[in-house]
Amino acid sequence: MENITFTLTKKIVTICIIMVSIGLLALVYGLIAGLGGERISANILLNNYYFLGMGLIGLFFVAVHAIAESGWQVSVQRIGEAMSTFIPIAGILMLLFFVFGGLHSIYDWTHPEHIDEILAKKAPYLNEPFFYIRLIIYFAIWSLLSFYIRKTSRELDNQKDIRYFHKLRKLSAIFIVTYAITSVTSAWDWLMSLDAHWFSTLYGWYIFMSMLASGVSMIIIILYLLKRMGYMTHVNNEHIHDLGKYLFGFSLFWAYLWFSQYMLIWYANIPEETIYFSERLDHFKPIFMANIIVNLAIPLLLLMTRDAKRAFWMLIPVAITVFIGHWIDLYQIIMPGAVGGEKAGIGFLEIGLTIGYLGLFFLVVFYSLSKSPLVPKNHPFYNESQDYHTNY
Amino acid sequence: MYVSPIREPLIKGNKDYSQVTKDILAPMAGKPGKYWYIGIALAGTAALFGGWATFVTLFTGIGSWGTNKTVGWAWDITNFVWWVGIGHAGTFISAILLLFRQKWRTSINRSAEAMTLIAVMCAGFFPLIHMGRLFLGFFIFPYPNTRALWVNFNSPLLWDVFAISTYFAVSLIFWYVGLIPDIGTVRDKATTKIRKAIYGFLSFGWTGSATHWARHETVSLILAGLAAPLVLSVHTIVSFDFATSVIPGWHTTIFPPYFVSGAVFSGFAMVLTLLIITRKALNLEQYITINHIESMNKIIILTGSIVGIAYMTEFFIAWYSGNEYEMFTFTNRAFGPYAWAYWIMMTCNVITPQLFWFKKIRTNVLITFIISIFVNIGMWFERFVIVVSSLHRDYLPSSWAMYSPTIVEVGLYVGTLGLFFTLFLLFIRAFPVIAIAEVKSVLKSSGENNNHTEHE
Amino acid sequence: MNKYITAYYLDEGKLLKGVKQIKSKGVKIKDVLSPFPVHGLDKALGLRRSRLARVAFAGGAIGAIAGFGFQTWVFTSAYPINFGGKPYFSAPSFIPVTFETTVLFSAFSMVFAFLIASKLLPGENPVILDERVTDDHFLVVIELDEESTEESIKEIEKALKEAGAEGIIIKA
Repeated sequence: MENITFTLTKKIVTICIIMVSIGLLALVYGLIAGLGGERISANILLNNYYFLGMGLIGLFFVAVHAIAESGWQVSVQRIGEAMSTFIPIAGILMLLFFVFGGLHSIYDWTHPEHIDEILAKKAPYLNEPFFYIRLIIYFAIWSLLSFYIRKTSRELDNQKDIRYFHKLRKLSAIFIVTYAITSVTSAWDWLMSLDAHWFSTLYGWYIFMSMLASGVSMIIIILYLLKRMGYMTHVNNEHIHDLGKYLFGFSLFWAYLWFSQYMLIWYANIPEETIYFSERLDHFKPIFMANIIVNLAIPLLLLMTRDAKRAFWMLIPVAITVFIGHWIDLYQIIMPGAVGGEKAGIGFLEIGLTIGYLGLFFLVVFYSLSKSPLVPKNHPFYNESQDYHTNY
Repeated sequence: MYVSPIREPLIKGNKDYSQVTKDILAPMAGKPGKYWYIGIALAGTAALFGGWATFVTLFTGIGSWGTNKTVGWAWDITNFVWWVGIGHAGTFISAILLLFRQKWRTSINRSAEAMTLIAVMCAGFFPLIHMGRLFLGFFIFPYPNTRALWVNFNSPLLWDVFAISTYFAVSLIFWYVGLIPDIGTVRDKATTKIRKAIYGFLSFGWTGSATHWARHETVSLILAGLAAPLVLSVHTIVSFDFATSVIPGWHTTIFPPYFVSGAVFSGFAMVLTLLIITRKALNLEQYITINHIESMNKIIILTGSIVGIAYMTEFFIAWYSGNEYEMFTFTNRAFGPYAWAYWIMMTCNVITPQLFWFKKIRTNVLITFIISIFVNIGMWFERFVIVVSSLHRDYLPSSWAMYSPTIVEVGLYVGTLGLFFTLFLLFIRAFPVIAIAEVKSVLKSSGENNNHTEHE
Repeated sequence: MNKYITAYYLDEGKLLKGVKQIKSKGVKIKDVLSPFPVHGLDKALGLRRSRLARVAFAGGAIGAIAGFGFQTWVFTSAYPINFGGKPYFSAPSFIPVTFETTVLFSAFSMVFAFLIASKLLPGENPVILDERVTDDHFLVVIELDEESTEESIKEIEKALKEAGAEGIIIKA
């Protein structure tokens, strides 16, 4: 009989706390070294958004499989649920960050003296009260739905009742619909408005695909960690293969959206649009190029074969690369608008703060995993996910 | 493999393998019924109308159309994009749904892919006829010529040539490779010598050997892996035709994924329209069940909602951009002279498909049929709105113009519809409309007689 | 012409068990014919995993290089023309066509390799051992050579029967 109760050991907690301390240290370093408020703020935004994305994709993963009535994913469903517990925490941090100076330090449109003719036209949308209202609405919806989805899924541990399965599906559908809208608008609010004059209709979907690829890489990493600790023995090569296919496919899809956005703006060559890319190519060229190589070329070439998708020795390095890669993607999205070419950089502040956030994220996820069995035994598709083998 | 008891069976009736063969081959045997003749007579007449329109166009030139200096693209490109869009469902079903292991795909993929091939043929007709000199159509391919000049690889229209021809070719071999084993079945069940010879030739000597099957499965899977991004690329490149320009309403970055979604949306609507009739007429209700219809309706609601979000995004960003030309185009779409087209599009694409959220409606065959027609209409108007309403108000008010089609353009459109239905009717007589071997391979796990206890 | 012993099954589960049993008795199976791919049969028969994926990859690689290379050659050396002020070597413009040629070459090279390797070509006229194979029969085929005697045939028949075959037919 496999062990399906995860115990949060002292060791895990200690490691996580050390990581969080590194993050705090990096913040203090940033303040002492005088790296500038903009750079510190931009980093907090970057990491907060990045790990919020992990939480949202965890929930999205659970929800999308619930409505697709997928059988195999029941075995890893709890990882997604655990990731989603980070959403409210990211929400509180985000709100505190914006209230205590973050908003004013990096968003141009919050400074009345920077408002020009174009920004004045956008004022009905880009103004502080409405910005905060939207922020609260997003986090209220996401947190509530993630809470109820987790709660319903946990009911399935206690009783075998098809009602909870249907309820889970209904809640998931509500989440998907609301998330389809909020994911786009929140990307406009927090990221696109950093370059307040610039606009792109594809932006929201591009950000979402970036999140999805990195979120799946995180699911794979957490699964690997759990297996290393001796849990999740029911997850076999077939399940890992499916996750590998997701990582491969979503990386390619991300690249497709990247290309669509870049090529169309490059081709039409309208100054008000091309400024976005020329800014990046002028001041952030290595990062801009690394973004494509790491997030497209590596998964494409290394995960192309069937064997590579099925084995951790290949999948884990790629998953970690993709995880870092989409951090880089977010970096090149945020930094040019928020900090600018002269002041931005990658140093102890950037790396340390990311480690800190990762520690916090792991702490929350592992704590949440210890609160419920690692597989929902009474899920109607439980047996399907256990007896799982396919030809492809 | 274990299948949860809460899953509905995909094949109704307690079938065994030979019953499956018999049921699916039944429509090909004997003389076709009265309705088939009526259908092909109607479709053939429409195709003849199209033949006349083609003749007029070629004889007198593009001047016989309603297009003018301002609205240079109109029904032709609308029809082209509409047909290509419809041509997306088949390969989507056989490639992407195969990768996602959707077993219900097996009952509909064959006919959907045949539909795809026919639709792509109809689509390809429009850019060719728009050249006005059909016999010079080969100019679009890069071939060594005496002028030492090559085609313009910078042009999205040229990308289209490559995309559509690759898509057609790959879909064709994908479809045919899948068809080979089933042609083998037709050959072995044939009663006359001629049929046996013809299907024997077409079956490429299929024997059902284990080695062949193993390779066949590998090939199908890799073809699916190749066709999946190919499906996305085709409508992406079609959208580039518009989006690489600098025309307000056309140049917008969301076009590629939004066009793809719209294409799958319209493709599934056409599959539903066709299959709801086909399953009834050919007595295949036990293979194409309410369950299948419901699944397709779910895809319609997904892709329809994506399209809806894209409409709203475009509108919002047009305002957010602060660009007055962009904003004018969108207000003009919704409230200008072509507002009626816009609101037909909104109603048919965004509002009516949302009814499928109700289980009662998405499991109702008649309502599904009606909504699927609505979607077909809505998606045609979407392309019309994009093409015509973005063009007809040029930057200079002196070049503002209106557009209305001539009888010749109507003829071309009706003609392709006729061609489409004629070829589909011929298809259902010539080939099995359901993938026999594939249905058999899921019969054990998803047939009604599956007792859900088998662990293999 | 060769002689064959064929044994048929009516259920893929029984076939799979039977094949394993026949193999364990040391009888060499020439082929198994079935109306649809049987899950796990390739393993039971010890078939090598198909190498068609490599053909597809090679085809795709050639297609990609050919597509991109050709466009580059046309625009930088064969007949450079200035289109809308874009550079002669405008890589983003070349991506769509490169993608299409990649898929085209990959798909066609693989499918042709499959058809040729399997001798599945128009006009092929193989021996149809049993017409019911494409309907609902699963056929185990055992080839007899000139050395096989009456006795050895009997032995094979016995082994087939023990392996649960529902019918045995000898084809001359």
